[in-house]
Amino acid sequence: MAAAIPVGAADGAVAALRESTPFGDASPGLLARIAAIARAARYPAGARVYGAGDDADDIFVVVSGRVDHVFTPEVGARDPLKRMTRGGVFGWAGLLLGQTKRLATVTATEPTEVLRIDTEALVALLESQPLDGGRVRERFVGMIQREFTVPALLAQVRRLSGPLTEEMSTLSLTMYRLSLWLKSPRPYLMVIGFALFLGFWYLAVELWKLPRFREMPGLTSVVKEWISPNPTYGLSLYTGEYYQHIIVSVWRVAKAFLLATLLGVAFGLLLGWSRAFKEYVFPVFEMLRPIPILAWVPLAIVMFIATESAVVYLAFLASFFATALNTMLGVESIDESYIRAANCLGANRRQVFRHVIIPGALPFIFTGLQISIGVSWFSLVAAEMVSGQYGLGYVINTSYMMVRYPTIIIGMVTLGIVGYVTSAMVRIAGDYMMEWRVRELALAER
Amino acid sequence: MSRGQISIQDVVKVYDPEGAAVMAVDHCSLDIEAGEICMIVGPSGCGKTTLLNAIAGFHDITSGRIVMDGEVLCSDEKRMSTPGPDRIVVFQNGALFPWKSNLENVIFGPVMQGKLGRRQALEKGRAMMSDAGLSGVEHNYPGEVSSGMRRRVEIVRALMNEPKALLLDEPYRALDSLTKSVMHEALLEIYYKNKVTIFFITHDLEEAIFLGHRVAIMTTRPCKPKKVLNVDIPHPRDYGVLTSKRFRELIEETNEAVHEEALKAFQAGEKEG
Repeated sequence: MAAAIPVGAADGAVAALRESTPFGDASPGLLARIAAIARAARYPAGARVYGAGDDADDIFVVVSGRVDHVFTPEVGARDPLKRMTRGGVFGWAGLLLGQTKRLATVTATEPTEVLRIDTEALVALLESQPLDGGRVRERFVGMIQREFTVPALLAQVRRLSGPLTEEMSTLSLTMYRLSLWLKSPRPYLMVIGFALFLGFWYLAVELWKLPRFREMPGLTSVVKEWISPNPTYGLSLYTGEYYQHIIVSVWRVAKAFLLATLLGVAFGLLLGWSRAFKEYVFPVFEMLRPIPILAWVPLAIVMFIATESAVVYLAFLASFFATALNTMLGVESIDESYIRAANCLGANRRQVFRHVIIPGALPFIFTGLQISIGVSWFSLVAAEMVSGQYGLGYVINTSYMMVRYPTIIIGMVTLGIVGYVTSAMVRIAGDYMMEWRVRELALAER
Repeated sequence: MSRGQISIQDVVKVYDPEGAAVMAVDHCSLDIEAGEICMIVGPSGCGKTTLLNAIAGFHDITSGRIVMDGEVLCSDEKRMSTPGPDRIVVFQNGALFPWKSNLENVIFGPVMQGKLGRRQALEKGRAMMSDAGLSGVEHNYPGEVSSGMRRRVEIVRALMNEPKALLLDEPYRALDSLTKSVMHEALLEIYYKNKVTIFFITHDLEEAIFLGHRVAIMTTRPCKPKKVLNVDIPHPRDYGVLTSKRFRELIEETNEAVHEEALKAFQAGEKEG
């Protein structure tokens, strides 16, 4: 019974699309192509645009006027009644996997002009443009997910994106984000970025022999050395010694990082929580913090007779400062009203600490841990270069002294990879401990 | 009913930043009857939140007395009252713990006070949430539901403690007008089911007259009641009230007083700038 009067694609179609959530940041080219498959339609006040259970064919974008959009109760929508004006998008049920019927009833409450876009044509168009179209699809997913609470429906969003399990656990959300990432153009851009970097290295050193680059080990010689079962300078993927260096360094960082986390978080919580403690300690802390780790080396060697403890101590020190400072800032960042609310609800000081201060500071603590693991590697390598018997810093330093240039690069690249992996592990641990935050981010506009 | 009668007696609050004594509340006296909705209207920054903070126990007073059901909350001897579950504040920007699910937020009070075991608390929490139209979002985090729903969860969290009074500090300020109208009816519905005293701060005169038994219009800094209006529209009310003749009359009657104070606040602001 649609009282639609086709009026042909309006000039304002692109402008109206640009004001809607899913199409808002699409490129002008894509918008023009979407506008080309859109048909304008008009509904007088009181006309029904469609009813729940009708066949889901087109997607609608409001150009002018106003509609009332009422979900059927089975949908479990967060806001069953929505009033939409210019830029409002509805009728996307057809985008859901296995959904062929309308989930809502839509009525024009004023004379309303809309754009109707055929769902299948839109999906085909978006798929034909992976870069731009991917972003539009992500926006749709975000928008649809915010409407519902029913897992079965959330699972249907799959048609737009990667697999999304019915239970939105932390793991599945992480996987879901990963699959979105793989579907987006970003991983391919990343590969291109790496290719450009390696290409430049190869050309600059081996082909063009640019000044300053000429003496550097070339890409091919490094790769050859690295994967050689019988390396010229004694270190490659096939030698046990290579892994021994990695293990020694990782073990040192692990000890330093864990100790720094334990002490740094406790210390930082105390700094943020107790004003008196902060007044005693913070000035000293702030004076020691900027001292570069390398300046601590002589003292560390004097303090710890064994070089092993000295190296771990140096890595610990840098880590500790970063973690403690961020934890303190985390406690201070907590909105006063959370503490007041807890007091109102009858929580005592200890309960406030346990249920408000610690979880409230957690986002900052994990930011601190990300920095901390980085500086921990940084100072470890510095310490290993000065004193030490094994480890990646030691490899780099001795290779330099013994003119084994490709091995220097192997040490550096290995450091980069191992450092990245440890930092990713910290991030994943954070995601597990702050599910609330992961969910907020996943549901927020991507 | 004699629960939740709050008597504000001659309260003075002077802020003293760097010796410049700023009088926020000036010999303010106001009696809030047990079980009534008392609306406090005044321009932003007039000192009405100071009054709420004094009742809640977030700030001290300079002199005067606040008494609730015969119990002295704060006085000249004990300048600051202690926050407690008999007077619960609903904050302007909301203070649900984002790291706890809605249900965990709701059961926070009774569990912390040790009044209910976890299991009983969960049961009661679920029942109260479903009563307030919140079933289905128990296990969502506050950040995942709409702002209107968050406010409702926060009010349910307060009511779980069977408080004598709810102190609301412009709770709907950040909401759009459509959500706001839904929230007003929801608040009244909750109020009719759980009779508590409601001390509600706002700068919106229509909101005040629509919800309140009485509306106290405050003078701007220092804050004290300029005019107390009895809203003689019978409860239960619904949105039909907004278009009634009596409602319009009451608005007209009070509009001038409110406007005068807003103007004063505006001019005072200009002088400072």
